[in-house]
Amino acid sequence: MSEAPFRNPGWAGNTGEFDLAEAEVRGDSYVGERPLDGGHPGASPSLPYMLVKKDPSAPLFEGPYQERLDKILDRYPTSRAALLPVLNMAQELRGHVSPGTMDEVASLLDLGRAYVRGVATFYTMYNKRPVGRFLVQVCTNISCNLCGADEVLAAFLDHTGTELGETSADGNFTVVEAECLAACGFPTCVQINSRYFEDVGADDVTAIIERLKAETGDARL
Amino acid sequence: MAYPYRHEKEVRLMSEAFGDPAARTIEGWRARGGYQGIARALEIGRDATVADVKASGLRGRGGAGFPTGVKWSFMPKDGTRPHYLLCNADESEPGTFKDREIIRWTPHQLIEGCLVGAYAIGASHCYIYLRGEFFEATQVLAKALEEAYAAGLAGKDILGSGVEIDVTLHVGAGAYICGEETGLMSSLEGRRGEPRIKPPFPAAVGVFGMPTTINNVETLAAAAHVARHGGEWYRQWGTEKSTGTKLFCVSGHVNRPGNYELPLGFPLMELIEDVCGGMRNGAALKAVIPGGSSVPIMDAGECVSCELCYEGVEAAGSMLGCASVVVMDETADIVKQVRRMADFYAHESCGQCTPCREGTSWAARILRRIEDGRGTEDDLDTLMQISEQMTGTTICVLSDSLAAPIISSIQKFRNDYLALIRRGERVGAA
Ligand SMILES: Cc1cc2nc3c(=O)[nH]c(=O)nc-3n(C[C@H](O)[C@H](O)[C@H](O)COP(=O)(O)O)c2cc1C
Ligand code: SF4
Ligand code: FES
Repeated sequence: MSEAPFRNPGWAGNTGEFDLAEAEVRGDSYVGERPLDGGHPGASPSLPYMLVKKDPSAPLFEGPYQERLDKILDRYPTSRAALLPVLNMAQELRGHVSPGTMDEVASLLDLGRAYVRGVATFYTMYNKRPVGRFLVQVCTNISCNLCGADEVLAAFLDHTGTELGETSADGNFTVVEAECLAACGFPTCVQINSRYFEDVGADDVTAIIERLKAETGDARL
Repeated sequence: MAYPYRHEKEVRLMSEAFGDPAARTIEGWRARGGYQGIARALEIGRDATVADVKASGLRGRGGAGFPTGVKWSFMPKDGTRPHYLLCNADESEPGTFKDREIIRWTPHQLIEGCLVGAYAIGASHCYIYLRGEFFEATQVLAKALEEAYAAGLAGKDILGSGVEIDVTLHVGAGAYICGEETGLMSSLEGRRGEPRIKPPFPAAVGVFGMPTTINNVETLAAAAHVARHGGEWYRQWGTEKSTGTKLFCVSGHVNRPGNYELPLGFPLMELIEDVCGGMRNGAALKAVIPGGSSVPIMDAGECVSCELCYEGVEAAGSMLGCASVVVMDETADIVKQVRRMADFYAHESCGQCTPCREGTSWAARILRRIEDGRGTEDDLDTLMQISEQMTGTTICVLSDSLAAPIISSIQKFRNDYLALIRRGERVGAA
């Protein structure tokens, strides 16, 4: 009586009723490319891209990024409140947030260095050291775990030839374990840079890795 | 089968357009009746809007189930200081995946909910605090927000009413504790997401020291519908104490996991057997977590007559929480799953309170030891003791949230623990 769910690794679910393409499910077809200057001020703190290209010495806040910064600062009653959006932006540009970057951000927002370090190290998403072009975050929390997340994690480690948290020799992949990504009905959920891959089983991992390798030239993912 | 899964028993107020990309655009959303809620609210006024939401009986969908209209009425009436509405889109309770669906399929539904909420509490600025991982969903929302501003639905003089409400998207950086309302305020201010002692309550001293209301994404989405149709209308679904519809996030060992919008009071077994197409591989039901990882685990017996409303789940020995129903069949390893939850809470504890900081990681270590077959029966007593000390002793309830699954699993699935412990003894003796 019960039909098994259609499996469609790569994005959430099947398309039957609405016959959707991947870009429609992900929202890309609606969003298009958001402007690097952040667009409308209300949306400006929402734009950390995760770039495939990670340049640890990229200058912070030049050109469109300076404009985005100005808009962000305008949206809060205190400049301290801009700290997370600004750290997000720094990571977008540099791929990780080094102690040096933290210090730069501190002087930019006129906050203490120790304070900024204390905040930056509190949050999991700030990479404290460089990561691969693709940061693969496999959810192993309860719903995914019940449906085989441990095997998916093992498959990613196996196929990338890495240890947990280490970056592969070609600089392409860093695989880490993640907490619940709020896609528990589509296990296993894997976040790769900015994208969610859902309904991933261990036997889908090869295809996903191949797909990523073909995309290493893309700027925004 | 189509995504998102649908079922004839659903009452789709909020989720009708899930899976329909045409509903994302402002034209698409207006064609579906969008923005009539805020229009009506502006017409009937702030007090009448609060009264409507009070009359609807809508309760907070972020976990605690506090009546939304009552919460809104706590906000001071004087207009001298800025008021803030914070929309909690940090969705990170394991098992919960409804807010993301609202945001990515119906972004305008959320924006309208924020406008209604902000108007009702006299706020001229609403911050939507999104978890950082939601990059794709956030971009959809950002685009929708730009459309709303362009259409005069956000910013100055909304719909020609003279009312000003700004909406700002604020992206977090990966910390479960920022979903706790005072932790969220700390994080929004640019601090570590450390919860604060209450009182003072946010309605008196909130973000940036100003009167603040914090509401979950689904709460605000529902409020937009209440604003459009009135409070009585909403009461046609649900029970006396749990009115309206709720998104049930079903995950785990069922054939058709997903989000289902059902009237509150819906029987749990009917959700599993009928709506979700029954248990995967026809296996027997072992346990259900009805409300996200921080509520007590129920055994199969407790599920039989459980009705999914706030009072119904409480009567069955657990809590509805955010209605994140994690279903486990006979193959589920309860000890391993509780240990995984303990790892989670140990990782996410902000570290301010000793019972939580020490208790979560201590419990995680003991559970790991038991899982590895190196535990003893005394460990179970220790776990119970730690859990009791972790309950009601800390600034926020993250600590209690781990105690609940530990205590309930030891009470209800003691044999699972004992099997691992005895296996360990045999191994040790051999
Ligand atoms: C540790 C912890 C985490 C929480 N995480 C969330 C969350 O991710 N999203 C949410 O809406 N509420 C979360 N809450 C509940 C909020 O504190 C708060 O009760 C809720 O956002 C209020 O909105 P509501 O009245 O609309 O439900 C969490 C609470 C605790 C104690
Ligand atoms: S209970 Fe835990 S998470 Fe909550 S404030 Fe205390 S230490 Fe932080
Ligand atoms: S448990 Fe994996 S996404 Fe929620």
